[in-house]
Amino acid sequence: MMNRNRGQKDIPLVFTKQPYVEDVGPQRIKSIKFSMLSDADILKMGEVQVSRSQCYVSQDKQSPTPNGLLDPHMGAPKRPKSAKCETCHGEFEVCPGHFGYSKLVLPVYNVGYLSHIVDILKCICKFCSRILLLEEERVDLLKKMRNPKLDHLKKNEIFKRVVKRCTAMASSRKAVTCSRCGYINGIVKRAVGTVGVIHDRSKVQDTTSEELRDAISHMNESKKTPAILSSFLNPDKALKLFKKMLDEDCDLLYLADRPEKLIMSSILVPPLPIRPSVIVDGGTTSNENDITLRLAEIIRANATLNQALTETSVNNKSQDAWEHLQIMDALYINSEVRVSQQLSMRNAKPISGLVQRLKGKQGRFRGNLSGKRVEYTGRTVISPDPNLKITEVAVPILMACILTYPERVSHHNIERLREAVRNGPSKYPGAKHIKKATHGTLMLHTNARKRLADELKFGDIVERHLIDGDVVLFNRQPSLHRMSIMSHRARIMPWRTLRFNESVCNPYNADFDGDEMNLHVPQTEEARTEALLLMGVQNNLCTPKNGEILVASTQDFLTSSFLITRKDTFYDRASFALMCCYMGDAMDPIDLPTPAFIYYTIYFQPIELWTGKQLFSVLLRPHADMRVYLNLTLTEKSYTKPSGKRDKPYETMCPNDGYVYIYNSELLSGQLGKATLGNGNKDGIYSVLLRDYNPNAAAACMNRLAKLSARWIGNHGFSIGIDDVQPGDDLNDNTSRIISEGNRKCDNFILDFNKGKLKLQPGCLYGKTTLEEQPLIMSQCGSKGSPINISQMIACVGQQSVGGQRAPNGFIDRSLPHFQRMSKTPAAKGFVANSFYSGLTATEFFFHTMGGREGLVDTAVKTADTGYMSRRLIKGLEDLSVYYDNTVRDSSACIVQFTYGGDGRDPSQMEGKAGFPLNFDRLLMKAKATCPAGKHRGMSPSEIREVVDERLSMHDMTPEGGCSEDFGKKLKGFVEKYAMTLESTRRALRPHNGEIQAEESTILEDVAQSISGITSQQLQVFLNTCISRYHQKKIEAGTNIGAIGAQSIGEPGTQMTLKTFHFAGVASMNVTLGVPRIKEILNAAKKISTPVITAKLNTNNNISFAKMVKGQMERTLLGQVAKSIKLVLGLRSASIVISLDKDTIQALQISIDAYTVKDSILKTPKIKLKEQHIKVLDARKLEVNPPSDRNKLYFDLHWLKNKLPTVVVKGIGTIERAVINKKKDRDKFNLLVEGTGIQAVMGMEGINGHETTTNHILELQSTLGIEAARRSIIKEIQYTMESHGMSIDIRHMMLLADVMTYKLMLLIGEVLGITRFGIQKMKESVLMLASFEKTTDHLFSAAVHGRVDKIEGVSECIIMGIPMQAGTGMIGVKQRVPQVEMCKRSEVIIS
Amino acid sequence: MADEEYEMDGGAYDDEPMEPEPEEGAEEDVEGENKDEELPDPLLADTEEKEEQEQGERPRKTSKYMTKYERARILGTRALQISMNAPVMVELEGETDPLEIAMKELREKKIPFTIRRHLPDGSYEDWGVDELIVEDSWKRQVGSV
Repeated sequence: MMNRNRGQKDIPLVFTKQPYVEDVGPQRIKSIKFSMLSDADILKMGEVQVSRSQCYVSQDKQSPTPNGLLDPHMGAPKRPKSAKCETCHGEFEVCPGHFGYSKLVLPVYNVGYLSHIVDILKCICKFCSRILLLEEERVDLLKKMRNPKLDHLKKNEIFKRVVKRCTAMASSRKAVTCSRCGYINGIVKRAVGTVGVIHDRSKVQDTTSEELRDAISHMNESKKTPAILSSFLNPDKALKLFKKMLDEDCDLLYLADRPEKLIMSSILVPPLPIRPSVIVDGGTTSNENDITLRLAEIIRANATLNQALTETSVNNKSQDAWEHLQIMDALYINSEVRVSQQLSMRNAKPISGLVQRLKGKQGRFRGNLSGKRVEYTGRTVISPDPNLKITEVAVPILMACILTYPERVSHHNIERLREAVRNGPSKYPGAKHIKKATHGTLMLHTNARKRLADELKFGDIVERHLIDGDVVLFNRQPSLHRMSIMSHRARIMPWRTLRFNESVCNPYNADFDGDEMNLHVPQTEEARTEALLLMGVQNNLCTPKNGEILVASTQDFLTSSFLITRKDTFYDRASFALMCCYMGDAMDPIDLPTPAFIYYTIYFQPIELWTGKQLFSVLLRPHADMRVYLNLTLTEKSYTKPSGKRDKPYETMCPNDGYVYIYNSELLSGQLGKATLGNGNKDGIYSVLLRDYNPNAAAACMNRLAKLSARWIGNHGFSIGIDDVQPGDDLNDNTSRIISEGNRKCDNFILDFNKGKLKLQPGCLYGKTTLEEQPLIMSQCGSKGSPINISQMIACVGQQSVGGQRAPNGFIDRSLPHFQRMSKTPAAKGFVANSFYSGLTATEFFFHTMGGREGLVDTAVKTADTGYMSRRLIKGLEDLSVYYDNTVRDSSACIVQFTYGGDGRDPSQMEGKAGFPLNFDRLLMKAKATCPAGKHRGMSPSEIREVVDERLSMHDMTPEGGCSEDFGKKLKGFVEKYAMTLESTRRALRPHNGEIQAEESTILEDVAQSISGITSQQLQVFLNTCISRYHQKKIEAGTNIGAIGAQSIGEPGTQMTLKTFHFAGVASMNVTLGVPRIKEILNAAKKISTPVITAKLNTNNNISFAKMVKGQMERTLLGQVAKSIKLVLGLRSASIVISLDKDTIQALQISIDAYTVKDSILKTPKIKLKEQHIKVLDARKLEVNPPSDRNKLYFDLHWLKNKLPTVVVKGIGTIERAVINKKKDRDKFNLLVEGTGIQAVMGMEGINGHETTTNHILELQSTLGIEAARRSIIKEIQYTMESHGMSIDIRHMMLLADVMTYKLMLLIGEVLGITRFGIQKMKESVLMLASFEKTTDHLFSAAVHGRVDKIEGVSECIIMGIPMQAGTGMIGVKQRVPQVEMCKRSEVIIS
Repeated sequence: MADEEYEMDGGAYDDEPMEPEPEEGAEEDVEGENKDEELPDPLLADTEEKEEQEQGERPRKTSKYMTKYERARILGTRALQISMNAPVMVELEGETDPLEIAMKELREKKIPFTIRRHLPDGSYEDWGVDELIVEDSWKRQVGSV
């Protein structure tokens, strides 16, 4: 609809009658078909024959050579201006350029198709061009190939099978006789070192080759070896063969077109505009494009060949010239083709070919088509401004004068725009251009601005400067998730930085140490609407990663809130009112709360005092008309857990005031810190405001707090200095005592020859400070710094680690030359006893830099790794979105999930823990708080159950009504638990003798109700809230859930630090973690670095049973149980005698004797011994007599002697070892098995096979099937992420696992990695694959196979510039022509 | 300024449940459908109407709630129309921003659009903008926060 106007340019009136041009309406690319050009096509397309390699006639670079590389038939040159294209007579700006052609004297292979050419040649008879398959096989495969239902992948598979069959025939017998003509074919392969095909018939025994060899043997002067001479299959020969091929055979070989098109006999010369000639140095020299240079070389090579052919004297010369032409043609297409001759100069920068233009990050696909450079953009340094709203960004005036928005004149804005036009481009707020329907674009640099302003008409478009309130997109790289680009409202401000509220730092991951950010101005009304509604800050407060709030208060805001809400902070009327005014610039109406208490001075003067907590009540609900009733409880970092004798939680009586309790927007207790106000939680004030009210409520609170904090802390003052980190005497004593104690312990260890690792817990030191220091405040409220940071400053820096170990030995047996050899003292192994305050010694400093460097290196390496991982994830998942039938499908409508995440909820709106939609506790609390019981009576437990059952049986709680079973169950369970509590309360209150009077019983009932009762209204409200809110959280159709999932998994990857290993329950059993592990999972790696099988035991409470199973399972080698393996050399015989060690065998609790050892030896694959060669002498002795001839016997025996100790006599060969793992709380054991071979482990006696799993996904898939693999992928990613303290909604991982497992290959599921191989099997689209990796390979094979790309996926749509079928592009919008009046009239007539 | 916003959604203190009751939505829906039936379609849409009728034999299955994407698309398209001086369907109270006007029109269900929701099997469902329920929480986001 919108494109209708495109291309209708208003041309000044030239003809009196304009020819009628039918408007076909907006055109849209529906699909792209890839195909190959034939010679005839090339000749048809070419406007001019290019036969001369010069570019210009003379040195002056004025006139291009006719029929030269820059022939003006191929397009107009940029300079001189007057130059015109000789084909279309257009000027440089208008002429799109035209192709030329150049005929080659002899055909050459197209290097891009070479692998396809080789494949075809492998399959056809090199004499009669028919396929080498037998007739019935051919017919059978052809039938399969012609099945119209087949997709590209299947066809490719059949084609591969054909090639395999044909080559197998060739390789098995070294030659294939064509069943049709009887010609014997050799092996076809690609030539190495040059561009060509070898048809190796050297091993073929037939008459022709014999004759040839005979003939050649007489020609001694021939330089070339006969084998090579005969084996090259030249392009001309191949072309002839291809021409003879039947169409039927072409079909079988998955060729969409005739195969002769694979070979070039003439080349297309691309138009000038894509290879412009740049004239430099005032017209004396010209810089030619690489393509032009390559073409010149081809034309020269062609001319040489032509000459060589006409002078028929020496044959060899023409061969060389032909090869040269071939290589030149290959380099033109792909300059990276490996050719032995170094034709191009090595020293200069390589001349690129066509392939290089498309390939790689800077290539056409990734550099220009998938991501484009844009206008209306700004970039500068950022700085903070707490006075801005979180939805705003301050744009410098300088920038606002350059960025414009085209606004159409209407009667609402005409006056404003007139003023803007009058101001012109340099005075703010002005305008840069006017676009008029009649006159085109008018610049406003001129003096006629006043006149233009007066002449401004409705419908004109004024490109005005950016003004306050304009929608802009704001972005910081790296854009790891969708919150990295959000839309803000512009605020035009002086100075030169882009400013925004610090609360929004988090989503951008920005700080103000010199970061720069980008700004984009959407240019249409539609674009700004979508930007505002979908990308607006207020609509992205939460991350879809797990539903936690991301935009929240940080740093100073937290510090000041923490200080304001201290228990001992009181404000009098003046200061309290002042602080209230801080919040809203004294512009908002505020109701002062009742003072907390009245204090009498010594003169009995009453002073009203308010607490700091009351200020927060005002902040949440400034005046009584505002109906915001916030209810929440949560624990801050400082919350004390009951210890010692007390086991009842402290809650509001917490000595550190760490229990935040907000009741109907009143802060009752708790000192506010990061958990309440900060990001990354689900129960903080902002999260609750966002969920219970709306984003604006949360945003308004953030704004208020930002303003309050900035002003308050400016007056209050908060700074940190050297005296803040000065340790007290007792702290120093403590530190040195602990360190010396540790040292003594360590010395003892060393004495015991133990390499015990000493690690002080730095946290325990700082706890002893009693000083109220600034760093402590910062750490406690969570604004900056951790306890470790503080203790490192004050007490002791601690142990430095490199690679998870203590400092390694960089010198011989010592870490630094300052220490004794073999020294294992803490100081010699990287323990820093000093603090940053006291200063590090030289050696300590070295160790500290070692640790520091490791961190730096790790981050540098990891960014590249995770970046690539994110890219792959995005490419793999980009086109998955939710459709209107609630299924998750890819762009070709192939179902990936039936309901998103199993329940169809939106992960960004999850309130509960572990991705559960709601937090029932909080909702019940809110329901009870907002609907106070009053006179209403509470319900009895049975009544509660009744009400719940009734409500849960309604339609909207059934699966048909869109509710998952799990939710219903959980809700019911929650209320049931509540009813139980009520029951137990009642029981507890009842007197023990059981005799109560009616009056007493009502009193008791009231007490019970007030403790844990609920009125029917409260319950109703609670249930309805839960259910309606659950339904609101449904994922919306059109959501591009794939991209969100990919980002949600990719983004945390960048934050995963050092921890690459971790102990799986028991020491010395390492499991890979972190980025390497995620990479393994995504790659669907066949070999993973730490495969671990977790096996359940049938009897899991018996250690000896576990030991026995372990012994059975663990690999025991013959070498381990043999007392000796001896070589016995007799006079007549030689043998090896093995004797077993009985004691060891018994100690290992395994049953081995000579007979089982014999079986094991026989089963070992490499040792090829037969039954009769091994003799069992007795239960502990064997004799091995290998069969051998006399000459080799001795060596064989020695080989065998070396080999025998590695024979697995017991256990599973593929496992390294097994470890018995005791579960934490109970006396339960399970086995952790290092290694692969889950099938064998599951089959072991004593193992519960049903509950045995492995972390090796591919193995699990091959053993237990695809569903097990899917579950395992989810579990493993979740485990890895959790062990790094990152929570990701399980729905994202489910989606990823589903994508990796949803494709059927040969009727069984296959785990596909998110790699180029896996993605190739998942996606159909050529453009998408080309924009991912192996760009040109995909394009060439698409051309050979005649693929069609239907432009449905995300990548394709971006490349073609078409709105994609997701989100707002998914729906159609139709205008309803209003017929209101007509309708009314008819009504009148009837009545 | 922002305070007015929350008053709309605040939820009553005393007796009312905090969330918008589903009945309200249902009512609106019924109203919307009635309106649609009252309006005979114009000449142009006549054939469309027939198609719709044929389609209409099958009950529409997709959600009666407007998705945020639909909302953004409709408001965007409408704002573009308004910015190009299309007649406004509501009384203005000093709004000049096309998007704000479009939002007001949407609130009053006056946007003369039909949404075509495409299902993956190639069929589609047509929904009038006035038939769809716009979630309350989205109310007035464009206003200054």
